[in-house]
Amino acid sequence: MKIRGAVAAALASAGILLAGWQAGTQVHGISTVTSSTTATGTKGSTGTGSPGTGSTGTGTTGSVGSSGTGSSGTSNSSASGTYTGTAVQTRFGAVQVQITVSNGKITEVTPLQLTDTDGRSIQISNRAAPLLRTKVLAAQSANVQTVSGATVTSRAYLTSLQAAIDAANL
Amino acid sequence: MNTKLLPASPAASRSGRPELSPTKRQARGWFDRQYRQRMLRTDLLTVIAWASVAASVALWLADGGAAATTTVAEAFTAAGIVTGLIGMDLVLLMLLLAARIPFVDRTIGHDRALEFHGKLGKPSLYLLLAHGVLLIIGYGLAEGLDPVSEAVNLWIQVPDMWLAFVSMALFIAVVVTSLVAVRRRFPYEFWYVVHLLTYAAVATSIPHQFSVGGLFAAGTWQRWYWLAIWTYTGTALVYFRILEPVLATARHQLTVARVEAVAPGVVNIVMRGRKLDELAGTGGRFFIWRFLAPGMWWHPHPFSLSAEPVFNGPAGEGTLRVTVRNLGNGSAQLLKLRKGTKVALEGPYGLLSTAARTKNKVVMIGAGIGITPLRALLETTPFAPGEATVLLRGHTDRELYLSREILDLCQARGVRLFHLTGRRSPTNSRSRSNSRSRTNSTWLPEDAVRNGYSLTSYVPDIADADVYVCGPAAWAENVIADAVQAGVREEQIHHERFDW
Repeated sequence: MKIRGAVAAALASAGILLAGWQAGTQVHGISTVTSSTTATGTKGSTGTGSPGTGSTGTGTTGSVGSSGTGSSGTSNSSASGTYTGTAVQTRFGAVQVQITVSNGKITEVTPLQLTDTDGRSIQISNRAAPLLRTKVLAAQSANVQTVSGATVTSRAYLTSLQAAIDAANL
Repeated sequence: MNTKLLPASPAASRSGRPELSPTKRQARGWFDRQYRQRMLRTDLLTVIAWASVAASVALWLADGGAAATTTVAEAFTAAGIVTGLIGMDLVLLMLLLAARIPFVDRTIGHDRALEFHGKLGKPSLYLLLAHGVLLIIGYGLAEGLDPVSEAVNLWIQVPDMWLAFVSMALFIAVVVTSLVAVRRRFPYEFWYVVHLLTYAAVATSIPHQFSVGGLFAAGTWQRWYWLAIWTYTGTALVYFRILEPVLATARHQLTVARVEAVAPGVVNIVMRGRKLDELAGTGGRFFIWRFLAPGMWWHPHPFSLSAEPVFNGPAGEGTLRVTVRNLGNGSAQLLKLRKGTKVALEGPYGLLSTAARTKNKVVMIGAGIGITPLRALLETTPFAPGEATVLLRGHTDRELYLSREILDLCQARGVRLFHLTGRRSPTNSRSRSNSRSRTNSTWLPEDAVRNGYSLTSYVPDIADADVYVCGPAAWAENVIADAVQAGVREEQIHHERFDW
């Protein structure tokens, strides 16, 4: 009787673990393939960004499209004003940034949304965002190193940022 | 010889209990089927317990946890998450084992449920400690912080994390105070109050599980699963440990009818109440009683019924009886309980009942106050005349409590009865008992051992019987060892601890 119970328990446990494992591999298969194209922002010209790249393995799904609202709204080359990047979905929540451009220079990066599904993500976001802002303002581009321990947030941040930069035609 | 033997006489027809007719049950292999069903339920509980542990790991696997683990920091974090999941699952199992769920009670019994509960205490603490330490290291590595700074960061920056730290401290306090050594040093009440801290420890651990970890983030099915098992555990605890006892107390409206002296320091407490027909067949099982008098109401007393409930009114009005020995602080007051004192009850619990039977034959072996539940069981458990044996052990005849009633029952139902009185055998030290000689029957009186008697001298066919043992722990251990040697299998032995 004890053996029957032990065998049944072992089989049930193994089955549950296998099912979990199987479901886990599928979660990642989907997240790397899917890339939704949801453009946020309605005002201004809706530009077309490049499909999200470099998101393999992290579960980040890049979304394309960005919008910007130029203060003058007349010229595309001498960019000034605020430009909003795309909202990039990650498994810890969406990330979206806005840049303020003055005479062709990025003067401010404002996060509109950061990874926030859980307390741990909020902690990571709050730590990573100021560091990324400093780096971006110094480099004047999205080509900066990700913050260690905040890879997912950093990549999403920089993807959204690149979309905003593209919208500003910098 | 301090033993006496009564020839089995044909059972007198006992009217009013047609459902307990022994021949009906025996003819169809009733006990064997009951046993097989109970074993099936035991296996089911085993499967549920292990499957729940596997499921807690599967939650993480299904989230893609394993595939996303590539760096050292992530490995620490992953290990921290998995240990936390398993540790918390074990805590939930512990709570369920202590929730007095009737299904668990009638399958493995209250004693074994609490035994498993106790066994899970240390593993779950170690897992939860590992959970905290591994995550702090993992997070720290990822952010380039030392573990102490990371712990401080978590405490300050992440909502609900300070509660998790408090919870961890409480868990440590609970397990440390529950360790046997500590339990012996402090009075029972102290240990009991500290144990109630478990609820605080569990409660403070809940918020961070749902708000900090990404696994149980809003919108995931994992969150629903985790919520479901928490809700079930919480509901079971509240219902079976609080609501049901309150309802039972209101339903039966028990009051103390009289307190009768049985022997020096031993009394019968007879309680009057209603709807006692619902409690028929619970003789021998125990209830937790609270006598609602000033200074006594908060003290729970686990006592078995020492007789079947007696009821005759239209609404099941009648009496219940427990037999109590003055064992210490709490029970001394019981000897002078006032008539009319209201009584709260929880129960019945335990498997010292017909529900545990596996065979047609029965042997009951009791010592001291442990005799009294057997007295109640003897009244009702089904057997044919000549198929039951009762062995009563005490230092003197006066310690064979209720022996007059037992004698009457034995005569009426055709039971062999032995009184085993006299001093304990001096060779009762454990050093002798592991020599595996036939003379390790130290639960017997000295002269019985000297004359070469053992358990099989009294009950030659014991290997084919259910053996109910009730008495002090060390004594009972000895009886059980003897029974096992005589060929009684584990599932035939039904033992109730009687020294708490």
